[in-house]
Amino acid sequence: MPRIFITGLGFITSIGNSSAVVEQSLRELRHGFERHPSFAADNIPVKVAAPVREFKTDAEDPEDWTIPGAYSVKREQLRSLSPNALYASCAMQQAIADAKLSPEDVSNDDTGLYAASAGSPGMLARQVNRMNQHGVMRCPPLGIVASIAGTVQFNLVAQFKIKGASTGFTSACAASAHAMGFAIDEIALGRQQRMFVVGAEDGNVETILPFAAMRALSLNPDPETASRPFDKKRDGFVGTGGATVLVLESEAEVLRRGVTPYAEVLGWGQASDGHNVAIPHPEGAGLTAAMRKALKATGITPAEVDHINAHGTSTPMGDAAECKAVRTVFGEHAARLAMSSTKALTGHGLSLAGAMEAGFCALALKRGFIPGSAHISELDPACAGINIPRTTLLEQPRIVLNNSSGFGGANVCVVLKLVA
Amino acid sequence: MPSAAATTTATLAHTPLTAEAEAAMRESLRRCSAKTIEAAVAYGQTGAPQHIPAIIIGIIERFVEPELRPRLAADCDDLRVIEDLGLDSLTMMEIVMLVEEVTRTKIENDELRGLVTIGDIKIFVDCRARGVPPPAPAKFILGDELRTRMPISAPFLFLDEARVSPTLATASYRITGQEFFLAGHFKGNPVMPASIMLEALGQLGVLHLLTGLPVEAGKVVGVATIFFASTDGVRCHRVCKPGDVLTLTLKPKRLKEPLAVYTGSIRVGQDKAISAEEITLTFGIVDAPVVEPAPAPAAPSAEASAPAPTA
Repeated sequence: MPRIFITGLGFITSIGNSSAVVEQSLRELRHGFERHPSFAADNIPVKVAAPVREFKTDAEDPEDWTIPGAYSVKREQLRSLSPNALYASCAMQQAIADAKLSPEDVSNDDTGLYAASAGSPGMLARQVNRMNQHGVMRCPPLGIVASIAGTVQFNLVAQFKIKGASTGFTSACAASAHAMGFAIDEIALGRQQRMFVVGAEDGNVETILPFAAMRALSLNPDPETASRPFDKKRDGFVGTGGATVLVLESEAEVLRRGVTPYAEVLGWGQASDGHNVAIPHPEGAGLTAAMRKALKATGITPAEVDHINAHGTSTPMGDAAECKAVRTVFGEHAARLAMSSTKALTGHGLSLAGAMEAGFCALALKRGFIPGSAHISELDPACAGINIPRTTLLEQPRIVLNNSSGFGGANVCVVLKLVA
Repeated sequence: MPSAAATTTATLAHTPLTAEAEAAMRESLRRCSAKTIEAAVAYGQTGAPQHIPAIIIGIIERFVEPELRPRLAADCDDLRVIEDLGLDSLTMMEIVMLVEEVTRTKIENDELRGLVTIGDIKIFVDCRARGVPPPAPAKFILGDELRTRMPISAPFLFLDEARVSPTLATASYRITGQEFFLAGHFKGNPVMPASIMLEALGQLGVLHLLTGLPVEAGKVVGVATIFFASTDGVRCHRVCKPGDVLTLTLKPKRLKEPLAVYTGSIRVGQDKAISAEEITLTFGIVDAPVVEPAPAPAAPSAEASAPAPTA
């Protein structure tokens, strides 16, 4: 099986719109939360969110959006973009530049793109409203492309002239981890030499607020403490949006191009809870199995793992179940490895989460640090027996796991390794 | 015929804009120039068709990338919306939706397909506004149909596909590099001869005479009567080589048996390659060949199920 490496990263996130700013936020534990203006109404109990900065995508007409000048987006491209596909397009431009890829490297039979996004419920709602008010023939011709799940790969594959494998993944909060897993497989099976992995979410009222009905969101109005995974007083997650793009390449391509990778991707595992549509298995059964499969697939023993970027969304049940799973898999080693949740800084990016956090892990491996788990004032006893550092450690991790869990009880674990 | 009737139709069909409708129109056109908005409001208030060209140009301009907008300034009726202005068919649809909304006309999908140039769109909307039927759209001719119609064949046919209407013919030809004469023109440096480019324009003239020339019933332009007569004011601007796609444009100046005088040009992308002020062909009008009526399909004894002539 060919070795696989991460060679490029692109970030549009609540904690930074470049690798440099993201790294600084992770090191200094700077969060991206604010009291969100669109949650101001009295009948909205949720107050805090982690919006993407520098972009404004609330207007119905994309030509009214604000896009930072560094990115080039033509009108003919803009008309089929959802906010999250726009973020993805900008993160893609970053990742291509970061990996030093030429247009020919991007557009060829051996380069594909897997994406994850929930589509754009906001744009879909506006489209349906317009259809009802003015009739379907007065709707934007590309409204459907901009709004349905799949909008990210439809747009990016066309915009960047991708010619290899392309599709989308819709396992909600595990979706971009699934995209990464199957992208790994494409290269491992020799079908592709290079894969772009994209996770993206609008991160607006329409994508975040429906989770309030499920009682999954934090009602804490304080941006400093609303997202506090593993803390005793955690009361739900805080929503975010944006996009992350990872460039995965085979060893042959890395050598041919002479680039220095961020990290090696050893492999992945996945398993399902078989339990409840939205509630995690109380013992973390699916996540336990996913981590074990990932370790088995990569030949890594539990004792070799230095750091876990937890799914850790800051919901009472989810964090407790994940801690049980980690204790089950790692036993006494759980107290030695360092587990943290970067969602304490970014909030929960849903379909974006897996790719974004794999990107954080790649940065941590390349730059030699382990992000701390922020905002814990009193550790939940349910999380006992696991080393959860509250500040960033200036230690070089060697083996890092990234966990993601989604609706339906889908669980994914990706294993990354230091490039020595 | 048109003026009196048209005025009546326009007057009858016209109901002035309400303040609310005007506001909605201004909102829909907010990315267009002030001139466009004023033309649209004036049209909305009076229904006078002379405002239509400004509305159409203004709406198209709004969708064209800024660097191509200067092309819309001068005489632009021949500009093809997709090929010359870089708009795709989905943008065409956005243009049509806005034109429909502002001019309160309806353009159906099959009508849309016939609208290739800015001139086509102007004439179409103008006819709609006046309540007269729009002219027949350009015919799109390619592949076997083109090869069947033309009295010229490989290796000397230099048209891949063509659009022909009574007032304009356009075509494209991709230089493959396999053309026999390129082996010698020049040695080791294949360049499309200018004489062959003029020949291609002449061939498009042949197709125009055979397809786009209105003649009286029972008559046709004789295939064997068409010959090259003269050319004048030829200028070459660009060397054309294998891989280049030639875009041919031919406009009739005078059409009266036995002479058809055209002005023609060839471009590669946006570059001018060759232009001819006049290309003259001779032609003759002959009786249409008598076509045997096809046998009735239901006739049980129809042994003679010969294929119908594909004229």
